[in-house]
Amino acid sequence: MDVLIVKGLKKVFGEGELAVTALADIDFSVKKGELMALLGPSGSGKTTLLLCISLILEPTTGYIVINGHEIYKDGWTDVDMRRFRRENIGFIFQSHNLIPFLTATDNVALVMTLNGVSDREARRRSHELLDYLEIGHRADALPALLSGGEQQRVAIARALANEPVLILADEPTAALDTDRGRKVMALLKKIAGERNSAVITVTHDHRMIEGFDTVCELSDGRFVKKPL
Amino acid sequence: MDLAAKDVRRHLGKFIATIIGVGMLINIVFIMNGIYRGIIDDGIWIIENTDTDLWVVERDRGGPFNEQSQLPRDTYKSVAATPGVAKTGPFITYTVQRGVAGRNQQFTIIGYDVFIGLGGPKRIVAGRNITAGHYEAVADQKLGVRLGERIHLGVHDYTIVGLTRQAVDTNGNPLLYLSLSDAQEVLFQRDNQAIYAQDAATIKKLQDAGYTATQAGQMLPLFSSNTNIISAVLAKLTPGADIKKVRSNIQDWLYLNVYSPEEEIQLMLSGRLKKISITLGFFRILLVIVSIVIIALIVYVITIEKIRSIATLKLIGASNWVIIRLILEQSVSITLASFGFGYGASHLLEASGQFPRHLIFTTFDTTLVFIIMLVGGVVASLLAIWVALRTPPSLALGG
Repeated sequence: MDVLIVKGLKKVFGEGELAVTALADIDFSVKKGELMALLGPSGSGKTTLLLCISLILEPTTGYIVINGHEIYKDGWTDVDMRRFRRENIGFIFQSHNLIPFLTATDNVALVMTLNGVSDREARRRSHELLDYLEIGHRADALPALLSGGEQQRVAIARALANEPVLILADEPTAALDTDRGRKVMALLKKIAGERNSAVITVTHDHRMIEGFDTVCELSDGRFVKKPL
Repeated sequence: MDLAAKDVRRHLGKFIATIIGVGMLINIVFIMNGIYRGIIDDGIWIIENTDTDLWVVERDRGGPFNEQSQLPRDTYKSVAATPGVAKTGPFITYTVQRGVAGRNQQFTIIGYDVFIGLGGPKRIVAGRNITAGHYEAVADQKLGVRLGERIHLGVHDYTIVGLTRQAVDTNGNPLLYLSLSDAQEVLFQRDNQAIYAQDAATIKKLQDAGYTATQAGQMLPLFSSNTNIISAVLAKLTPGADIKKVRSNIQDWLYLNVYSPEEEIQLMLSGRLKKISITLGFFRILLVIVSIVIIALIVYVITIEKIRSIATLKLIGASNWVIIRLILEQSVSITLASFGFGYGASHLLEASGQFPRHLIFTTFDTTLVFIIMLVGGVVASLLAIWVALRTPPSLALGG
């Protein structure tokens, strides 16, 4: 089953002579448990595509379907989009973006409580997730006291907190050395396989995409290597 | 999950420093309030604590406290003859700066006829009232003298026979009660050399006018200044007397000004106390504004410091309310904790008795400051909330 369908996606910034086409002719889909790598140099449109899929940047034309729902449909309010994002998408960031004043457990539990899970239940499930990602022993540590690799594991746990159908990872290995980067990618593969979540990883490092199901490459807003 | 509380716990030092800083400002607001109420209380204390129905003063003067008033001593006898008046007493008040209790200090002398009793001290907490016509005094504790101590004023020593508490003039200076003649003597007693010099000058003028030295010497007492003056006459009315008629008689027939105690209080409030009230009010408003601006800046800075976290929260789907609550809760927490600090510090200062002025804290003032600060704390967070809500979630993406 396709978790994500992107069809005829185009994003243009500005108007008239000042118009800049950031994305054009983007068509692809991602299945449950599929691991997709999105490659491309800076300015190629990777982040714009991620923003469009994240319900943050509305495309100029085309449509996006996530988990059977066409997003940016008329009548979708900001609140609807935030709720949809919270329930269906997990995010992993380049610089981890953990809330600095929350412990590892609280960072993970926060996402669940935003979804209405009780504090106690959220903390219990957070501990499970941290254990699953082999970081349970640092559950009570603040982000500043964690290494880069540990922070990224907590960030992955947070992305998994609401059991999303789609995980978007924005250069998750950029702040890590090669060894740690490979471990994070291995973890993403494990998650896609075991938890049946589709994972789209934006990266510009070809070494990190070994074993990915799909690899596509963007250049100047278009796919130069289309997903198969 | 209470994000604001967790942030405060994580940055406790920063929040405590902020609370102490803003709390000190609020402490000053409380002290200003206390000074204001204290000044009012001090300013009208002597009026409220003088046993009289009418204050009779020099014509066209707002005396004796708000403006200087001078009357011949015997005026009290003329007022006593007015129909409806039961009893009158002479009253004099003036402020001096003399060496008492080992230090040079300012205090106000009240002179009254100790045998009539009107104008005498109230709130005697130790000792007794003045009973002798001379060389006895009742002083306020603030003057720093002890019961039985002898203090030197002018050319005589006076024994402290009684002590009062919180008997002060409009400037918060302690009161010293003397018999009328003693008070006049302390006020008008001049240096011998000055008297000789003035007498010599008067004799020379008379001689220049054609009088002999003997004649000039005989005439000298006629030219010496009259020191038998008072500031006001205190009048008690007979039961059932028509106060309007009595004051009308005194005003029309004796050419004097008459004030009821309430009018005397109003004179003080609209005269001497008005400017200081406005000044203190102005400073209080400024301090409250400064406190709110500081809270606004601090809340803004701590919000900007976590703007990336706010963007992340928005991206992972947090509602606006989660973000508003985070900022608002911190702003209100800082405001309330600062208010508590300021309240506690000002009351501790008052309780220590080390503050040089009389401080009075009222529930009304405390409540008003609380409401203003609470509203101010909410308003202070608006800028930060506005910035936070405008933060795009996309800020969380990228390096």
